[in-house]
Amino acid sequence: MTDTLLFRGIDEPGLNTIDVYERRGGYKQLKQAFATPRDKLIAQLTESGLRGRGGAGFLMGTKASFIPHGNMQKYVVCNADESEPGTFKDRELIQKNPHQLIEGVIIAAYAIDASISYIYIRGEYDQQADILDAAIEEARQRGLLGENILGSGFNLQLELFRGAGAYICGEETGMLDSLEGKRGNPRLKPPFPANLGLFQGPTLINNVETLSTLPHIVELGAASYAAIGVKDSAGTKLVSVSGNVERPGNYEVELGTSSREIIYTMAGGPIDGRAIKCWFPGGSSVPVLTADDLDVSYDYDSIEAAGSMLASGAIIVVDETQSVVELAYKLAKFYAHESCGKCTPCREGTTWTLNMIERIKAGTATPMDLEIMASVQEQIIGNCLCPLGDAMAEPIGSLIAKFRPEFEAEIEANRAAREQQLVSEFASAEVAIEGVSG
Amino acid sequence: MSDGVAKVLRFTHNSRIPGWDRAADLDKAPAVVPEPATTELPAELRAAIEDGVRRFPEGDSAFIPALYAVQQQYGWCSPEGIEQAAAVLGRTPAALSAVATFYDMFRMEPFGRKTVYVCTNISCSLCGADELLEALEQRLGDEPDVHLRGFECLGACDIAPMASVNGVYVGPIPLDEVDELSRQVVAGEDPLPARQLLRRPCADSKAAGE
Amino acid sequence: MPRPIEKLVKLTINGNDVQAPQGMMLSEAALKYGDVEIPVFCYDAKIGPPVGACRMCLVEIEGLGKLQAGCSVGVKDGMVVHTDTQQVKDAQKAVLDFLLINHPLDCPVCDKGGECPLQDNSFGYGDGLSKFVEPKRHFEKPLALSPLIAIDRERCILCYRCVRYSEEVSEDDQLVLEERGSNTYVTTFDGHPYVAPFSGNIIELCPVGALTSRPYRFRARPWEIEQAGSICTLCPAQCNISFSVRDEIVLRVLARDHKGVDDGWLCDKGRFAYQAIHVDQRVTEPLLRDGGELRPVTWELAIETTAKLLSHAGANTGALVGGETTNEEGVLLTHLMREALGSHDLDSRAGGSLDLELLRALSEPSLQASVPDLQYAHCVLLLDCEPVDDAPILDLRLRKGVRHHGVKLLIASSRPSALDRRASHSARFAPGCGAAFTAALDAELAGQPSDALAIAAGADPANLKALASELRDAGEDVVILWGERLTAGPRREQGARALLNLAARLELAGRDGAGLLEIPAGTNSRGLREVGVLPNASIGLGDAAASGRDAQAIGEALASGELTALILLHSDPLLDQPSSQLWQRALGKATSVIAHAAFLTPAVREHATVIFPAESYAEKEGTIVHPDSRLQRLRRAIARQGETRAEWALLAELAARIGNDPQVLTCSVLSARIFDAVPFYKGLSLDSIGGSGVRWTERDAAASFPSAPAAPFALDDAPAAASPNGLLRLGSFRSIWASPEVEASPALAFLHPRQRVEIAPVDAERLGIAQGESVTVASNGSSVTGLAEIRAAAQPGTVFLQSAIPEDSAALLEGPLVEVKRG
Repeated sequence: MTDTLLFRGIDEPGLNTIDVYERRGGYKQLKQAFATPRDKLIAQLTESGLRGRGGAGFLMGTKASFIPHGNMQKYVVCNADESEPGTFKDRELIQKNPHQLIEGVIIAAYAIDASISYIYIRGEYDQQADILDAAIEEARQRGLLGENILGSGFNLQLELFRGAGAYICGEETGMLDSLEGKRGNPRLKPPFPANLGLFQGPTLINNVETLSTLPHIVELGAASYAAIGVKDSAGTKLVSVSGNVERPGNYEVELGTSSREIIYTMAGGPIDGRAIKCWFPGGSSVPVLTADDLDVSYDYDSIEAAGSMLASGAIIVVDETQSVVELAYKLAKFYAHESCGKCTPCREGTTWTLNMIERIKAGTATPMDLEIMASVQEQIIGNCLCPLGDAMAEPIGSLIAKFRPEFEAEIEANRAAREQQLVSEFASAEVAIEGVSG
Repeated sequence: MSDGVAKVLRFTHNSRIPGWDRAADLDKAPAVVPEPATTELPAELRAAIEDGVRRFPEGDSAFIPALYAVQQQYGWCSPEGIEQAAAVLGRTPAALSAVATFYDMFRMEPFGRKTVYVCTNISCSLCGADELLEALEQRLGDEPDVHLRGFECLGACDIAPMASVNGVYVGPIPLDEVDELSRQVVAGEDPLPARQLLRRPCADSKAAGE
Repeated sequence: MPRPIEKLVKLTINGNDVQAPQGMMLSEAALKYGDVEIPVFCYDAKIGPPVGACRMCLVEIEGLGKLQAGCSVGVKDGMVVHTDTQQVKDAQKAVLDFLLINHPLDCPVCDKGGECPLQDNSFGYGDGLSKFVEPKRHFEKPLALSPLIAIDRERCILCYRCVRYSEEVSEDDQLVLEERGSNTYVTTFDGHPYVAPFSGNIIELCPVGALTSRPYRFRARPWEIEQAGSICTLCPAQCNISFSVRDEIVLRVLARDHKGVDDGWLCDKGRFAYQAIHVDQRVTEPLLRDGGELRPVTWELAIETTAKLLSHAGANTGALVGGETTNEEGVLLTHLMREALGSHDLDSRAGGSLDLELLRALSEPSLQASVPDLQYAHCVLLLDCEPVDDAPILDLRLRKGVRHHGVKLLIASSRPSALDRRASHSARFAPGCGAAFTAALDAELAGQPSDALAIAAGADPANLKALASELRDAGEDVVILWGERLTAGPRREQGARALLNLAARLELAGRDGAGLLEIPAGTNSRGLREVGVLPNASIGLGDAAASGRDAQAIGEALASGELTALILLHSDPLLDQPSSQLWQRALGKATSVIAHAAFLTPAVREHATVIFPAESYAEKEGTIVHPDSRLQRLRRAIARQGETRAEWALLAELAARIGNDPQVLTCSVLSARIFDAVPFYKGLSLDSIGGSGVRWTERDAAASFPSAPAAPFALDDAPAAASPNGLLRLGSFRSIWASPEVEASPALAFLHPRQRVEIAPVDAERLGIAQGESVTVASNGSSVTGLAEIRAAAQPGTVFLQSAIPEDSAALLEGPLVEVKRG
């Protein structure tokens, strides 16, 4: 295992201040980046093999190379709307090492020649936003933001924008609409943000972790960075491990580490030696894997080959004591609540699914409802405007596929319980009536 | 509608949103862009909104900062406050209310100024969030100045089950500390200082050592 | 921005080769060029770019993994599309399944039933079965969204059309979505009604029965009505409409989408004022004044009396012709006046006649911009007009140009404009000083001193310079949209000359996509001028055999007794003419006043000797001319109401009785005679005009337009704008809602304007006037009252009042300065 990169010295007191960050060598990479021609810098990013850490896993350098040249106003937007359930790695980066992110933003903006940048942070991260705001102000004071940064002739404004509580604003175009002061509805693609993004200008959008990696790529060089990890999954990845484990938290791992090592060795595995029923390898929006998949290498392609996605890099562990119906209920409730309502399959499909699971819980569902629920998931997948509909349908579909007997058993048990309750209510009502008449 | 509203006496299933049953009040004037010459607002609210406009000059980017300013001023996004913001921004109040109602953190009715959001999403619920919320509801449910609600993933699954108390992340919260936390919330004290997220080291042992 | 050039590409749809313009959205191209329907809900090209929300239009495109939304994919060369595969059918069924889970399916009691896209698509593409067994949600319904529109939220499928319309087309931003996900609903802010000049369009846009017309609700089923295409004559915009008729009653007006005229939209006056056709207060029989009282008489008695009165007055007759008069009626009126009575005192313009040479120069074919030019020009300059009041539908066209085609909008007006927010620059001048302002603008563009002229116009010289600079840098395709008021009033000829100089300076003549576009005061003002309903022109804008009095002079001659009789053809001088005081005197003095009117407006009610019932626009046939030179055809949709007769026939009959029979047997004969007599209409026919009209300036016969003098014209020194000196400059405007038809339509009663006194905050403070309080405006012994309306955008030193309203009209005051005080 290589040394940590993003988490290097993360708990050093005062790392969030510019003095400590600079003492540790911060903002040096920025000078180096400014000394590199833009196209070379982008080529370096591409060669590093860095894939976007927000979820889609698109090659960061390639994305940057899509930004058109020309005099139009270009933008960099950092997606700090970390709202994928189970994911909390960006929070730790922002809170403890904000200048690493700011340096990354400046490098990215320089690479694509953007003079305006925003960090869109979720509104709930109030404390982190305050820390980041202070850091931005420090950077401004030191001339690292504003006009003619470090004498490079490059200008950049950076503003922190606080969201107001909507999961969908983590979707890049929903975030753009929100940043433009609208309801955070995702946009139709194409046009892609690289061409027509924020305020219809070319826009590079990257996640906090991705941008925080840039100073390290500049420092190490593309080849050295690419050497970390495995083929097509270069570098280290911050993994948020949560759920039924002994030591939940963020771990920086080299891509290609075994999933079992992350879950058991690092995070301690389930308490009391319980078995794992299933686990989400990349936040709640991906198909679940089971205990049989624990030896899968934790990298983009291997997880995909196993039938799921690495996505935001959040592992949620569910132990054997948990109910899959309850799990599906939490999922459906979340996605129905967070659906923006713009497109039909997601808006109606998530709510419909929630209604059906509520009926399973209430004991009024039949095995046929399970069939309907499975078919509704199929009706959603691939038909929506943005990934949110699929984000519910994929995990719920996988739960039904992998745990059908448990669903059926719970439907039957709840139905029987309800019948029993009705009978006893009826009986006590009869007693009461008898009592009256007698 | 004056000409015969049919009272539907069937289900009100899914009727979680009061607005669905709301007709327009035909005695009201249409809600056009408020006239800046005749719309008065507190100076501090105007300053806060104008600061948002200064920081986010393009498009309607200043909407969300303006709504935060209104909520800060009135405790909620009151119609009066939205109209005042609309006058400063030169937009219709509807353009603002459409945005405000989209986001979970804007409230469209008066609520307690002390907020307690309890995460009830997957990771937290796997660790007992539902029980935590229930316990807090028993203690804080009737407190007029406290706004307690279950919330979707707050991005702190490492301290599950957790809550955000006036923006301060606290967790894991054992059920036997709910009494103490509730008392602190009502008294306006720092919530469970030892359990605040900001004091928590990174889980990754490699990162800590250097 | 010039019009996009269409390049055809080849693609394959369901195995068939199709040619379509590159970039056209697939769902549109498939239908238009491939005869393949891709069902849609949320998409409608006229609202703007697609949003891909409803997902009804999913299709398979080879080479792309997922199904694509056909509404939002531009067609490309070599594209291979399938709309009939199992995967596509499954997706269509899935979307309808989802849409119907909460739709109440109350089609038997739904107004939309029979003309409902949701019904049609469910029938065409749905499964016929639903797996949904949960209870549907139910709510109170219908609810009022406004006095005109009912909303039924159960039926709403959240297609976004109405709210996108409100945000992106009418830009009134009043109708929005609130909440999120499946709780999303269409609403207004805090229970305010959705009242805006173009609100009714959302009824037609709604693909389900969620938004319905309250006046039309439950009046008819689609299969019981007939659609009758015609033209709305309630304003100069002349939108193409379709009357929904049941049993000879107009129950509804729908848009008849014409890209060259209305772009498929209507204003609420055009959509709802059809109610005035069928109200009790409409005049539907001849009335004769008998001892001060108007009483119904037979047609014979009315015609006989009129013939006698007019014969008696002879050449001492004057005539005012209103804008709703057709070309045919106008021509017969000129025949009656000139040939039968020997009088040349007739006018269709208010505010004084314009030198014929200038009139020709302004109407010169090479200088005429079209309505679509407003959308594609590099720059549009609004000069002394307010589209939303003067020709409402153009307001939407301008917004579209700015929003979607990058048109630079510049505004020069004396009253703040509804379009100011969309303009790159707005400049203000003192009311009535449009001529001086235009001259100043021209001087500035020419690099000559402009400050003195700007100050004379009551404008800020720096602001004028900024406007000129924007105009200079705007590009070549400039359209000047100007209001007739620029060429009315005492400085009218200066206004015309300055405008022509400006057009010449910008080299607009002969340039495609550039030019002048006038918004005249009356619906058919352009046609009436072209057929010679002017004191100084004959048919075809030819030289007049003899020159007559203009409207102002007719009023003065009546007041002095030189004229004794007055014909009012769809005209009420107390509403339409600038000075009510003059016309009160003139009407009081006139021996006989013959009116053709549908409503007893003030002058008609108080002064008419004989009143002939005027046809409504749904009963009329004939031709009119759009301000951009498009001849359009009115067609009868319903039988004439009551005793009403065709007015062309009446005018012909009157001329015959007086002794000069124009020899017309049908209206179409008369139309043909006009096409023959106007050189630049030569070769037109009613058939060629058809349902979509013909712009005569685009035809070869336009070369026969009488020659006009060329700019530059010499200008007089402009007199300085009145200095307020404690008083305020008086400006007036005619609201979109100021019309007898609006007043008579029950559904629009809530819109009928009350006088409001618009002043700037500084003047309000100085005069101690608070918002909404009662204010008196006085000059020269007459005064009007209204409610104070303090506007930050109003010009200091100026007060604006409405004209053309029955009470407290601005026309009762004599400018230029008035006194404003509380109480």
